[in-house]
Amino acid sequence: MADRVLIVDDHAGFRGVARRLLQEIGHQVVGEAGTGAEALSEARRLQPDLVLLDIQLPDVDGLAVAASLSSQPRPPAVVLVSSRDATDYGPRLDRCGALGFIAKADLSVESLTALLET
Amino acid sequence: MTTVQRRVIQAGALSTIALACFFEVKFKTLDGRIVPQLAQEWYRVLIDLVPGSSFVLAGLVAWSRRPLNRVGLLMIGVGVGLLTRNPELQHGIGEIAYPLEVALHFISPLWAVAFLHLLLAFPAGRLVSRLDRDIVRSFYALVPLAGVLAVVIGHYPLLGAIGQPVFETKGPADYVYLACLLVGSGLVIRRWFLGGRARRRSITPLFGPMVPITIFFLLSLAYFLGARVTPIPLGGLKSILGDLATAFPLLLVALPVGVLVGLLRSELDMSSVGDLVVKLSGGLAPERLRPALAQALHDPSLEVAYWLPAQEWFADLEGRRIELPTDDSERAVSILGDASSPIAALVYDSSLVHEGQLVDAAAAAVRMALENARLQVQLRAQLEDVRESRARLVEAADSERQRVERDLHDGAQQQLVTLLLSMQMTKAEAMRHADPETAAMVEANIGALRQALDELRELGRGIHPTILTQAGLVPAIMSLAERSPIPVEVTGELGDDRFAPAIEAALYFVVSEAITNAVKHSQARRLCVSIDRRPVLAIVEVSDDGVGGAEPSLGSGLRGLTDRVAAVGGRLTVKSDHAGGTTIHAEVPCG
Repeated sequence: MADRVLIVDDHAGFRGVARRLLQEIGHQVVGEAGTGAEALSEARRLQPDLVLLDIQLPDVDGLAVAASLSSQPRPPAVVLVSSRDATDYGPRLDRCGALGFIAKADLSVESLTALLET
Repeated sequence: MTTVQRRVIQAGALSTIALACFFEVKFKTLDGRIVPQLAQEWYRVLIDLVPGSSFVLAGLVAWSRRPLNRVGLLMIGVGVGLLTRNPELQHGIGEIAYPLEVALHFISPLWAVAFLHLLLAFPAGRLVSRLDRDIVRSFYALVPLAGVLAVVIGHYPLLGAIGQPVFETKGPADYVYLACLLVGSGLVIRRWFLGGRARRRSITPLFGPMVPITIFFLLSLAYFLGARVTPIPLGGLKSILGDLATAFPLLLVALPVGVLVGLLRSELDMSSVGDLVVKLSGGLAPERLRPALAQALHDPSLEVAYWLPAQEWFADLEGRRIELPTDDSERAVSILGDASSPIAALVYDSSLVHEGQLVDAAAAAVRMALENARLQVQLRAQLEDVRESRARLVEAADSERQRVERDLHDGAQQQLVTLLLSMQMTKAEAMRHADPETAAMVEANIGALRQALDELRELGRGIHPTILTQAGLVPAIMSLAERSPIPVEVTGELGDDRFAPAIEAALYFVVSEAITNAVKHSQARRLCVSIDRRPVLAIVEVSDDGVGGAEPSLGSGLRGLTDRVAAVGGRLTVKSDHAGGTTIHAEVPCG
């Protein structure tokens, strides 16, 4: 199971809750980023095993960030999150190279564990 | 020009004819009586008098009919020049005033330049293009200079009489004279072949006579050059050309006759305005107005531009803006109506400029019809403005909806999601501390919060569906189908094709509203949505197997959709009767 995690979301409140949740299931949160550009530079610097990535970022689309992360030499597993449903993004979700998608309202120890174990 | 000046010119021109006639006569004393006799052979007399006189007389007629057109004056100039070329006349005048004879030697050859000027200025009476003006100015300067040069090198007389074969050139003035006539005839023939129908028609009176004249010149030139650069004896050809040269003055007479025929034809053309009036009395649709005017003015290239006061520009029948030519030697413009409030503008071939009366008469005849057509054009332009304005309003409203949905998502929805996750962690904490009461209370709040979030998400989708922006029309419609409580079958394939945002939004809301209506009112068991793309058309159709009876004029939803589709230039139709089933069809033009 992955243990070094980078959280990417422009809402500090969500980042705090996600940090607590991930730590609860034994992950080590190594960094946080609020924008797509920060996410890419932090991912290069920290080499995380997992990136929890919000789709709606202030500078670039999270799906584009996921595609960029997936094309790196040692790509981290990317779990996309959004306060919208998966149906709001259509087939683009399947094409961006992410491990999976969890709606923020459904984010829990169980849903995260289930996704990471697939 | 004052009346006195006009009278002086007219009298001078007629006096020149009389003077030329006088010098063709010699008075001899026979049996104590003074008897008049021809000074030379009768045909030589005719050749001296007929061409010049015909130009003078035709010029006087043309000038009296069209006082503002210089064609008449130029013809008088050519005629006077031809008549005063007679050496007998010049000597006779020289006996009275020698300087006058010298002046005539230099001035009379200018008839050739006046002839060139006439050819290039016909029928408008003015030189339209800069090239024409430069050519004519150059020759006006060159002919007297060549005359002076001829005197300096001892060649005298300057030019042979017009009956003399052209190939018998004797000095520099003769070369200039030959070049002048060749340039003029060449340009007329070129203009006839290259010009449009209106231009050809206008210069036909010159083109006819100029063809044989040009052939004669070319033959003469060929002989002239051939005789000097080759040793071939050309005696026989010289004899033929000599005969042709004798006929040359008679060819020249064809020109004033042609000009007079042109004048007569212009008078007859006025009758075509009568035909136009007859057509108008039968009621002429605006789209048939331009062809009718073009026919009356014999100019198929004629355009009608209608003035739109609100926009302050001219437009065609469809309301599209037209720029009037400002500095175009090929096109002329007549504005109809007052300068402050024009009705329309006629744009036509500049060869019609000399037909000012004809253009004015035709314009006066169609003034009322033009005013009607202008009002229609104005209405079309206003409708187009309204359509564009409506499209801008819909676009602005879509942008605003998108912004509100984004604000909702970034603000309230994010806060509520974070709160929900916190409460879930609180519940887990309570469970770990064996506090089932707190856990149950938090669980109840979590349920309420989830419901609020769901409603907020639906509200956001209703305002503006994210998937439409993110993934396009087909995924957005597939998403609608998946969430519909009635089974929806989606057919058609657009692939990853995207349309303009306004078009995607219009078609999406058609499907969304159709599904909502079917769920609410139709009692349908299934729905079909088809999406199709033609070369310039995007089409969606939603049909159900419900009870039917949908009435677009009653419900604000369908009426709003009709307006929305129309705002992007499309059309929405609803087929629904009480026998059952409703089909909503929307098609929108897409580039």
